[in-house]
Amino acid sequence: MINAERQQHSPRGHARAWVFLGLVGLLGLALVLGVGQGAVYVSPNEILRALVGAEDNPIVTDLRLPRVLGAMGVGAALGLAGAAFQGLFRNPLADPYLMGSAAGAAFGVTLAVSLAGTLSAAYSSSQVFAALPSYVTLVAFVGAVLAVALTLVLSGGASRTHDLILAGVVVGAVLTGLTTYLMLKDADRIRAVMAYTLGNLSFMGWEGVRAMALYLVLSLPFLWILGRTLNALSLGEETARSLGLPLLGLKLLVIGLATLLTAASVAYAGIIGFVGLVAPHALRRLVGGDYRVLLPASALGGAVLLTSADLLARVLTRPAELPVGVVTTMLGGPFFLYLLWRGRRNV
Amino acid sequence: MRKLFWSLFLVVSYSLSAIGFAQYPKTLTDDLGRRVTLQAEPKKIVTMLPSLTETLCAMGACERLVATDSFSDWPDSVKKLPKMGGLFDASPEKIVALKPDLVLISVYGKLQEPLERSGITTFAVKTESYEDIFRTTRLLGEILNQKSAAERLVAQIQQQIYAQETRAAKAKDRPTVYYEIDPTPYTVGPDSFIGTLITKARGQNIIPKELGNFPRISPELVVQKNPQVIVLTHPGAADLAKRPGWAQIQAIRTNRVCGFTGEADNLLSRPGPRVAEGLKLLIACLHPELK
Repeated sequence: MINAERQQHSPRGHARAWVFLGLVGLLGLALVLGVGQGAVYVSPNEILRALVGAEDNPIVTDLRLPRVLGAMGVGAALGLAGAAFQGLFRNPLADPYLMGSAAGAAFGVTLAVSLAGTLSAAYSSSQVFAALPSYVTLVAFVGAVLAVALTLVLSGGASRTHDLILAGVVVGAVLTGLTTYLMLKDADRIRAVMAYTLGNLSFMGWEGVRAMALYLVLSLPFLWILGRTLNALSLGEETARSLGLPLLGLKLLVIGLATLLTAASVAYAGIIGFVGLVAPHALRRLVGGDYRVLLPASALGGAVLLTSADLLARVLTRPAELPVGVVTTMLGGPFFLYLLWRGRRNV
Repeated sequence: MRKLFWSLFLVVSYSLSAIGFAQYPKTLTDDLGRRVTLQAEPKKIVTMLPSLTETLCAMGACERLVATDSFSDWPDSVKKLPKMGGLFDASPEKIVALKPDLVLISVYGKLQEPLERSGITTFAVKTESYEDIFRTTRLLGEILNQKSAAERLVAQIQQQIYAQETRAAKAKDRPTVYYEIDPTPYTVGPDSFIGTLITKARGQNIIPKELGNFPRISPELVVQKNPQVIVLTHPGAADLAKRPGWAQIQAIRTNRVCGFTGEADNLLSRPGPRVAEGLKLLIACLHPELK
């Protein structure tokens, strides 16, 4: 670890390999702990028997396992989207919420729920085809795309990074305001909607796990290929352009993929802060700024972070539950401040 | 002579206090722990919680209401009163414009700050346990100078509850119950007023009391406890079976899910004078064989 830190600007291959190994190890640990611990005590023996199918135990196979895997998928999607946005805007403080995409997705879901007149629909989505996105994801995605499109129009296109960030923050704030307004109109359900905006993985089922996996498998290769573009961008807009890259199209592609990942996360787990900000930020210090490495590392880091946060949310006050968004903020906030503080000292 | 004077004096002062003189100014402690002083008997009152509106009207003080929150809809006479908003979106300006003598509020709405700044007296209540219903009713009696009406109302509610309990006592079994307020899921603990009603309806709440009155719980707990009956006060009954792992819960397999919405939800969710009607609904759900 110390070795990797000392060489944070150009870590050698083997240091990177250690970081990846460490992340995979942590993810494995989070998986084992996540399935082993929960509101209800299930003995390790029973858990193993349930996992190999020797015994029917819905708590393990229908609730806990999909919840842990779903947390991994959502965390990975947020980490990946966060890394992509940070590269695109050359801003280490960028996160999936920056373009207004998360606020747009949340607004879409809340609007659909208000129109449908019930909030449970947001949690138990209709399954037409198991692997296809549910209508909630679709609504979230439409909301996110519209929000991003609005941001792009307001800022005069993707070429002006600063205007884009400003427009995104404003669009996000307006949509968050509208979402709050809708919630208050449906005051009977206010607590459920509140919980949704603080992140809720309670009812993550196999359908959600499949959908998140599908989005990750679809977008990871594309983003990995776009890693070169992000590397070029990190040298500055002009330099990237002089390399003859079709910047506008590539930028829009990155925005589209990151928006899709954010929308899927919001649709299945509500709004979960900090994961998309902290994971890429922390890993940049460990694996350096090469996006072809940083993107997959951020996905792994996000998965570790959210799975751990959800584990804490489930066991700290068991059998009651904390909103997972509160836990990520409590974990992520101080950690982020520590990173900033250490970064200052190193300069 | 002196004796006669003193006894006369006593009689007169007693009768004066009985008809309400020498009662104000009166200082009471509200559920936020604030000392609230009432300078005179409040005649123009705004209630910002449906349960408070109902309690006030059940005590026969409905004519003192000048406005209510947006959800108050019982008795019918309050429907035409101006509505001041809900718990989180109340309008202090509208309330101040009415110049009420007193505004009865929830401890959660944060309304006391803007209203007190505008010189309006506020009294905050928190009604969570079954006992709180009677404590709040008696407090309102103190505030309105309607102590005997409050005592009558308390006796009346307790009588109605007792009548329902007597019916429930004939039940053959005590089914285990999971009661869901909203699909987060939020539920009720045994020490909340709804928890007490479940016990009185001869049901067994699956939630341990350590979790508090209105906890958010893990869906795992419900699957593990496998309740025989599920009661919902939100319109999501159809979605329960679609929740991961819930299809095998006994209540869902045997189709013993009662969804209460609208007026029925109000009867169950408002800790006010109509709780016995809420209890009746619960008994009908837990023991359909009792007619």
